[in-house]
Amino acid sequence: MEAIVFRDVSFSYAGSEKKALKKINLAIHPSEFTVICGRSGCGKSTLLRQLKKNLAPYGKLEGEVLYYGKEIQNLKERESAAEIGFVQQNPDNQIVTDKVWHELAFGLESLGLSNAAMKRKVAEMASFFGMQNWFQKSIQELSGGQKQLLNLASIMVMQPKVLILDEPTAQLDPIAASDFLATLQKINRELGTAILLSEHRLEEIFPMVDRVVVMEEGSILIHDTPRRTAQFLAAGEKQNPMFYGLPSVAKIFSLLKGKGECPLSVREGRLWLEHKLEKAGVTGKQTEKGSEKKRIARQKRRPGTTGKGNTSIRIRDVWFRYQRAGADILKGVNLEVEEGEWFCVLGGNGVGKSTTLKAVAGLIQPYRGYTEVGGIRVEKKNQKQLFHKCLAMLPQSPQAVFTEITAEEELLEALYHWPLSDKEKVRKVEDMLELMELDELAKSHPYDLSGGEQQRLALGKILLQEPKILLMDEPTKGLDPFFKRKLADILGKLQRRGVTIFMVSHDLEFCAEYADRCALFFDGEIVGVDTPVAFFSGNSFYTTVANRVARQWFPEAVICEEVAGLCEEAMM
Amino acid sequence: MVLYLYGRRRAWDMDVGEYRMFQDGLGEQAEFFSYHPLVNLSCFGFIIGVAMFSTHPLFLALILLAGSMYSALLKGRRAWRTNVGMILFMMVFMTLINGLFTHNGVTVLFYLNQNRVTLEALLFGMASAALLAGVIIWLGCFQIIMSSDKFIYLFGRVVPILAMTLSMVFRFLPLFKARFTEIHNGQKCMGRNISGSSWIGRIRSFFKEVSILIAWSLEASIETSDSMEARGYGLRGRTSFHLYRFSRRDAVALAVIGLLGVLSVTGCAMGKTAIYYYPGIWIKAPDIWFFITLASYLALLVLPMAIDIEGERKWRQLYFET
Repeated sequence: MEAIVFRDVSFSYAGSEKKALKKINLAIHPSEFTVICGRSGCGKSTLLRQLKKNLAPYGKLEGEVLYYGKEIQNLKERESAAEIGFVQQNPDNQIVTDKVWHELAFGLESLGLSNAAMKRKVAEMASFFGMQNWFQKSIQELSGGQKQLLNLASIMVMQPKVLILDEPTAQLDPIAASDFLATLQKINRELGTAILLSEHRLEEIFPMVDRVVVMEEGSILIHDTPRRTAQFLAAGEKQNPMFYGLPSVAKIFSLLKGKGECPLSVREGRLWLEHKLEKAGVTGKQTEKGSEKKRIARQKRRPGTTGKGNTSIRIRDVWFRYQRAGADILKGVNLEVEEGEWFCVLGGNGVGKSTTLKAVAGLIQPYRGYTEVGGIRVEKKNQKQLFHKCLAMLPQSPQAVFTEITAEEELLEALYHWPLSDKEKVRKVEDMLELMELDELAKSHPYDLSGGEQQRLALGKILLQEPKILLMDEPTKGLDPFFKRKLADILGKLQRRGVTIFMVSHDLEFCAEYADRCALFFDGEIVGVDTPVAFFSGNSFYTTVANRVARQWFPEAVICEEVAGLCEEAMM
Repeated sequence: MVLYLYGRRRAWDMDVGEYRMFQDGLGEQAEFFSYHPLVNLSCFGFIIGVAMFSTHPLFLALILLAGSMYSALLKGRRAWRTNVGMILFMMVFMTLINGLFTHNGVTVLFYLNQNRVTLEALLFGMASAALLAGVIIWLGCFQIIMSSDKFIYLFGRVVPILAMTLSMVFRFLPLFKARFTEIHNGQKCMGRNISGSSWIGRIRSFFKEVSILIAWSLEASIETSDSMEARGYGLRGRTSFHLYRFSRRDAVALAVIGLLGVLSVTGCAMGKTAIYYYPGIWIKAPDIWFFITLASYLALLVLPMAIDIEGERKWRQLYFET
């Protein structure tokens, strides 16, 4: 019997005519691992929430949602709580108690188990998840990845038969995200729990899952194996927006019009490419043909800055630590960013990337060295000058800047202190709404927007300050691949207007494609700065998937389009 | 080489071992900390309970001395300075206040503005200062031994919902603080609330920041309540999980503490330790009950310290004296 069945399910939210779900038919078998993808707002969350009695949104539901043949709404409370687990996006908001061990037992407490029984189950789960070392810790000492693992574990401890996850890795950095996904795979393989999750980052999840569901505007576009789904998304006249979210290997495969089984992992991609190139008589490293200019034109890459422009951000030998007795976070950071440049700082967790950003914005004071922005020393007494049409920073959580009740007013609020006439202000706001492509959502409440839209609204609010230098901390976090491209477009437009973009990111693919220069941060200092091509082709592990696939033939290709382009050329 | 290092370390550690213990502070490593919360609570309950009603100079001296030592054992060398400072300050302050404002007592020392300043009033002020300081010092130790977890557990036995609420409060306070920092930084980066802004502007920004915090937190709490419901919160018959075990050791300790505690409370209640400051100082002549009370209370005062020192000695013996 199927674990979950959606039969002709349609749904519209209370007070809205628009159908959020349209005639959904879907069956999930026991122990199946299924991923649901689709653009933000396509109905993924609405679909997932129908599976949990207490979380189902208010509105009009037609059709049936069945759990092992029983209607979800008729399940006993106890059954629904214990057998269907639900993990949400934000790691922080889901945690209720102050200690790891207590959080783990929360669900069991609800079920009314005895202390001895709880102790045993909690012990089991902590061992399964490898949480022994942080079992006694306070929640506030945990990293985001650990928090999300804890959320997962505190649900697994109730031994659910079905696990539902709504974009669980959206707020995590890539390393924590792959840990999390690996744990999910382990749960599926070793415990046989059926898993249904929605996800944007398909790179890693695709090789793990049994089935993929692609949604578009409330209906299911395709429900098939990952390989066939990849082929489906790549085929057709106009590429589906979700094509951009496919694993790099699948993208290269489809760009080269590959036939047969679609490769999904780096290993499979390499073998397939080797086979293909060998048949065409291409072996060994291919040196670049043609001039640099031609190459750039061919790869649609913007020419990088020349290195002769004015310095916009200067970081000179900056040392910083939080406490007198603590360890140094920044150990002599030196960096110069040019005017109008798009600069990305990459690096692992906790190496000091975000701290560097804070030092540039003057949110922390280095104990040695200094930073200069647009020729102004970053110091307390210069703050007014700095933030006036010069420097702006987009915070990691867009909520941190929202104060008003509509998107429009939110942007107007940003202009509150400007000496402009009301008419001018309104015009500026309208322009910004258009630039951020939020014009249709002008009257929406900021908190009703999706993650990507909130991000753009916050960015719009920051940009109304007309900064010459824009600082961003992980701007691509939680964005779907389609929004990511849109963000890149917007930032590109700004750059052409002369805005310097300085961002800290974990997103290698994004930086490889759009940045002018990238820097690798490690252990409190910058260990390498270069253009993306030189940067990524010089690294062997810390590089893009496309580069890892094709480096033995085309070491200088770092994004999928480049790999595909060079392959085609070599085979001609 | 390894043996050599091991030997060296042992020698060095044993030489100054006991002193180091009072220098660095044991904190949550203290042996007494590892006892069942009920044992901790009853021990401190009796100590502080009796201390609050003690006016006998001998008792006060013991409470202060034992308290200062225990607080140094738990918090390290620095506690000495703060404790002695506090005791001295209180002594001077309360003795003066009481001496100047209370004119009871038969032994007049001198007249100030035609008001009597009496020896009894000064002494009573001093005794009250000692009492207050003693209670504060012991509460400081209590705070270390009774962690929030233990509190939550003990409350949870009586009122389960209170335990959960407390636990949630301990969770959300640091979360709010982190959020507020992010909001403040976000506003700063928009050029609000920075140095150079006007006072009015800064106050307005502050209220704006608070309102963002409230909106954000309310929004987030929807997700929290979803997560609670998803894990069956609200089902009947909720239990409360804890990690504590009541072992034989705890039973013995509880019995001893109970006996000592009951003896000292009875002794005090019977007025065997009574002392009157007004009109003249009168101390009840000590009888056998006085000594029993004194002995059992003294035993209570040094019990946590004895347990900790014994634990520490055992530890060193086990690991450094093989």
